[in-house]
Amino acid sequence: MPSSLEHAATTAASLSELAFQRLYEANATNIHSYLLAVSARRDVADDLLQETFCRLLLHPQSTSHLDSLELRRYLFRVATNLLRDRHRSGDTTPYADPPEPTTNPTPDTSLDIARMLQALKPRERELLWLAYVEGMDHAEISSATGLNRLSVRTLLFRARNKAKQFLAPVGGSR
Amino acid sequence: MTPTNPTTNSGVPGPDSGTWVPTKPPDDQLRQSFRTYAAALSADHTPPPAAAILFRAERRRRRLAIERAERPLLIMQSLGTLCAAGTLAWLAYRFAPHTLPALNTTTLALTIACTTLILAGCWAMLHASRRTSA
Repeated sequence: MPSSLEHAATTAASLSELAFQRLYEANATNIHSYLLAVSARRDVADDLLQETFCRLLLHPQSTSHLDSLELRRYLFRVATNLLRDRHRSGDTTPYADPPEPTTNPTPDTSLDIARMLQALKPRERELLWLAYVEGMDHAEISSATGLNRLSVRTLLFRARNKAKQFLAPVGGSR
Repeated sequence: MTPTNPTTNSGVPGPDSGTWVPTKPPDDQLRQSFRTYAAALSADHTPPPAAAILFRAERRRRRLAIERAERPLLIMQSLGTLCAAGTLAWLAYRFAPHTLPALNTTTLALTIACTTLILAGCWAMLHASRRTSA
């Protein structure tokens, strides 16, 4: 029969695992989509997602004081840094296998967005995704990407204009 | 006269004077397109299971623990190699058939300072590794 100390340790471990699973369920899909959209490779997105949550598990003391929103931003920041590390290391073979959704009710829009993302720089993809899909404001994007707030504003403005140019109807000025 | 767009700067003058043909989609449309794409993307690609990440983290935790445990051994090995090299150099100097110039005070002081620095570095690394593994 396990002693009370062993029992307490087992309970604590299972609780933390449960908490992790809850946290994972709440954030994994969003971060995975973000990684997929920016890297455009399923294998890279899977790997970086695992690495992001691994870091969270390996350094629990650095995130213990964060609430759920801050934790979400922290996870996005780790994911962004991992994407940049990958980009800096020279593994820049994006869109070898573009993840085009197949269950989309409006395939044209989806294709346009996929094509537009292909044409943008990784940082622009990050900013647009965080702003339009995650609905983050400048301050949140700044904390999720590590960029200066004013830089976020300027870069997002440029990225948005670029995106609009790409999505402009045929016959419009490019 | 070139017409001006009252709301945004995106657009070109239309074929008739005074008309404006928008060339860029508005923000809401862009947001909607992004969200549709994101929804389809997450529907098609499911993230790996949480258990896989827990397993990966556990494996890495063990590897880090082994590395931490091995660090003092590595330091002692390096220190041993350094001492052996120093001893050999001293022996070669002491029993060499030819006469080498004697060490002057400055060289001796530099040697002592270097040795002290190396020993202090080793001690600091050992201390740090003991603290992290605790």
